[in-house]
Amino acid sequence: MCADQTILANREGLRSGNLSPMQQVRAAGGRAPDPHVTGGWLSMQEYADGEEVDFAIVGTGAGGGTLAAELAEAGFSVVAFDAGPYFRPLEDFASDETAQSQLFWTDKRIVDGDNPLKMGSNNSGKAVGGSTVHYAMVALRQRPESFASRTKQGFGADWPISWQEMWRYYTKAEDALKISGPIRYPWGPKRPRYPYRPHDLNAAALMLAKGAEALGIDWTETPLATVSAPRGKSPPCVYRGFCRVGCSTNAKQSALVTFIPRAIRAGAEVRDLAMVGRIEVNKDGRATGLHYHRAGQWRFQRARNVIVAGYAIESPRLLLNSATDRHPDGLANSSGLVGKYLMTQSNQAVFGVMDDEVRWNKGPPSLAITEHWNYDDRKDFFGGYIHMSQGPLPVEWSSVLTGSKGLWGDALLGELDKYNHQVGLKMVGEMMPQERNQVTLADEVDQYGLRVARITYSWCDNDKAMIKHALDFMQQQAEAAGVKEIFRQKNDTNHLAGTIRMGADRRTSVVNADCRSWDIPNLFVCDGSVFPTTGGVNPSLTIQALALRTADRIKELSRRGEL
Amino acid sequence: MSFQPLPARPERTLRLLDSLFRRNKPAADPARIALDRLGRSFERARATAIVAARPGLPDALRHQPLVSPRKGVDAARALNRASGLLAFSVLTDSALEHYRGAFRNKAMFTPLATSALTVAASLHGTTDQRESAHLFRDVTYALAAVTGLVGTAFHVFNVGSRVGGFRWVNFFYRAPVGAPMAILISGLFGVASERLRREGPGGRPTVFGLGAGRTLATITAGSMAGTVGEAWLLHFRGNFQNPAMYIPVTIPPASGALLMDAAIRGGEKRRTAARASLWATVATGIAGTFFHAYGVQRMMGGWRNWKQNLLDGPPVPTPPAFTGVALAGLAALDLLEGDDA
Ligand SMILES: Cc1cc2nc3c(=O)[nH]c(=O)nc-3n(C[C@H](O)[C@H](O)[C@H](O)COP(=O)(O)OP(=O)(O)OC[C@H]3O[C@@H](n4cnc5c(N)ncnc54)[C@H](O)[C@@H]3O)c2cc1C
Ligand code: SF4
Repeated sequence: MCADQTILANREGLRSGNLSPMQQVRAAGGRAPDPHVTGGWLSMQEYADGEEVDFAIVGTGAGGGTLAAELAEAGFSVVAFDAGPYFRPLEDFASDETAQSQLFWTDKRIVDGDNPLKMGSNNSGKAVGGSTVHYAMVALRQRPESFASRTKQGFGADWPISWQEMWRYYTKAEDALKISGPIRYPWGPKRPRYPYRPHDLNAAALMLAKGAEALGIDWTETPLATVSAPRGKSPPCVYRGFCRVGCSTNAKQSALVTFIPRAIRAGAEVRDLAMVGRIEVNKDGRATGLHYHRAGQWRFQRARNVIVAGYAIESPRLLLNSATDRHPDGLANSSGLVGKYLMTQSNQAVFGVMDDEVRWNKGPPSLAITEHWNYDDRKDFFGGYIHMSQGPLPVEWSSVLTGSKGLWGDALLGELDKYNHQVGLKMVGEMMPQERNQVTLADEVDQYGLRVARITYSWCDNDKAMIKHALDFMQQQAEAAGVKEIFRQKNDTNHLAGTIRMGADRRTSVVNADCRSWDIPNLFVCDGSVFPTTGGVNPSLTIQALALRTADRIKELSRRGEL
Repeated sequence: MSFQPLPARPERTLRLLDSLFRRNKPAADPARIALDRLGRSFERARATAIVAARPGLPDALRHQPLVSPRKGVDAARALNRASGLLAFSVLTDSALEHYRGAFRNKAMFTPLATSALTVAASLHGTTDQRESAHLFRDVTYALAAVTGLVGTAFHVFNVGSRVGGFRWVNFFYRAPVGAPMAILISGLFGVASERLRREGPGGRPTVFGLGAGRTLATITAGSMAGTVGEAWLLHFRGNFQNPAMYIPVTIPPASGALLMDAAIRGGEKRRTAARASLWATVATGIAGTFFHAYGVQRMMGGWRNWKQNLLDGPPVPTPPAFTGVALAGLAALDLLEGDDA
């Protein structure tokens, strides 16, 4: 009761317009913010904690947001929890780089290994809509062979789903997000036309194109989840380039402006600032609901099924933190693989300057792309990579200069003066799944009293060989385009995957092809953590395609009474 | 259909223009003499051919209806109107778009100047009831047509010169290749209108020595096809996200086809169908302006941010080009009237 009053009090506070979404819940009292309308609300169904809902979903990003919409639209009762705030893009997102650190998961985490991961702005979001609220919108398909890396390419593990099926769901995901992409995609099997036309190229993208033509490789406009023409209440992109600190126009088709309103309209409840700490399992080995912290209180939501979609660090952490006497190693962990095979993607870059003014920050950061090294197999390492044009904002750029180039003081200022002439090419490379790269629990606890994640990461020789290949090639390409004063950024990584891998065998995987736990039949995990291999492309579209497939499978299982 | 003359107020300006450009003895103008000669020899050749082939020819061609010279002037003034509307669309559109392009190339001022002149010439022509061509208008219209040709070449070069060459993204976002065509069409209509003012041999209005109705219908249909192509490209770029975006790629091409049908096969029924569809195209152009204004509203910030959105949103001045072309089509229909009596 007390918590309800807090929620209502917050709602009153919101009317006065001065409460931060970071401190005060917004989705309460029968309504949730309408991200498309300044001060607007969507009416929202609410469920009592004691009511056993069909699905309780942890996380509302690429995986969770998609499932919430699909399952609610199929008529299931759904409550989706997110530890992050519920933003109103039109009001909360300033065109101010420094104001936006609020978007990232900056809760405590411990990193170690030979190549400890830098956590935060580059790889984990914390908001209703998840990381898609501040992602760079690059929406790519993995090449067919990536779904059978073990049998087709000789490394990693096979996915339990055929590439043809994944590609069918890619088409659906692209349509749900109205991806703006090229008319003809130069690589891989024929794909249907992208729902929206490509965006124009900025000068940074033209550099990539020029270099590619000089070297005789294909390039194209990057398929992006930001619209090039109006879509409903989303205006077309205005090319100001604040995408990674939150798009304030709603051109970006994040989960927050696409799947979340769909979910709410279909009867789902979304709970913001609701941190799930533990999943409860009964003596029959079935999940019964989850414990969550909201408005200063721990509460318990009953649920018939639980779906975990907190991404590759938080999902395994939740399963591990939910350990009981019967499940001493954490939930769903009979294989011992929960937390194992963490993967990131190599994100090295070459930067330099052009004689002409470029203004690389204008527009979405990566408007041109080449997948050449995903599809050309004449290379001396496993896996593949893409590389794209770049456009970091000034603060981000200065952190590259201080962090990776070691500049400071006058040298830094002098370099920053060249900002408008700067260009860059950045890879997104497939890192190998290694069992030693993992998420475990540290002894320390966070603000909720939950044990924090320890993230251990080391590159293997294949990772290093790919990075070297990419840096050499990108440098060659940049030089061919007339880029001068080239500097290599050798240490960056970004997207995450793995830790709760899917597979066809319960001994070597945690979930099956339906993202369903082998051990606990009413527990699903559907997010980036189920990837057996991460592929050489950015992960979000694959996660969304997977979530669409999982939704279809759940509907089918429910029809057959097998849920 | 007949057009009422405009109120007489602009007369004084016209007289001033007249005194500047109109020679007292039109026959002394060498360009006109040359054109006249060309026209007459065309007509003679055609007449000879018709006589020679008479027995085998379809009725429509054999028949040489006698039309009052007034009809030629009426049609010419209708064309002036069409041409002026197109030129006005070009004036405002190229002002916006070339401002957006920061007039990076000095040549980008050209369409502004020629289209402004064309608007003036067309106003002049619309109020002018005389049965003779006018040097100022003639030259202006010719200039407009040339500007359109040269502009198209510039735009094609602009597309091809960026990395990637003639690929979709460059057609979408570089200089629109179809845009300069509007001023070319405006010029063509104008030149045709000047030819029309003088009755052809046998009192039948001609253009370039050919039957006026059919020639004009052909020019109009060609212009319609070009204008539709331009709209299709840009609406395709905008993904036909609003169903109304299909209107300009369905109604106008249908009206172009019906007009050609009426011109070739003749008959009152066909002319009625063509007339109805051309009026629908007139309406399409007008409605398009409102749709584009609504499109501006759908950009970030809408009309409150008009400084940016007028440039980045759908171009408000372009849809009336359809109205202009359709008006010319209606004039052509008037001339076709009675062709197969
Ligand atoms: C800066 C940046 C740029 C990116 N650019 C691209 C790109 O261009 N293209 C691309 O494909 N991918 C990109 N990504 C990656 C992409 O955003 C992620 O791969 C994808 O969003 C992951 O989806 P997910 O559903 O697994 O998790 P997320 O989208 O991260 O969603 C997880 C959500 O779960 C919530 N959560 C976690 N644990 C709990 C808990 N215990 N209780 C309650 N809530 C919890 C979190 O708050 C978060 O909101 C980018 C990522 C970042 C950070
Ligand atoms: S550049 Fe486009 S997608 Fe990025 S923040 Fe601006 S409007 Fe949004």
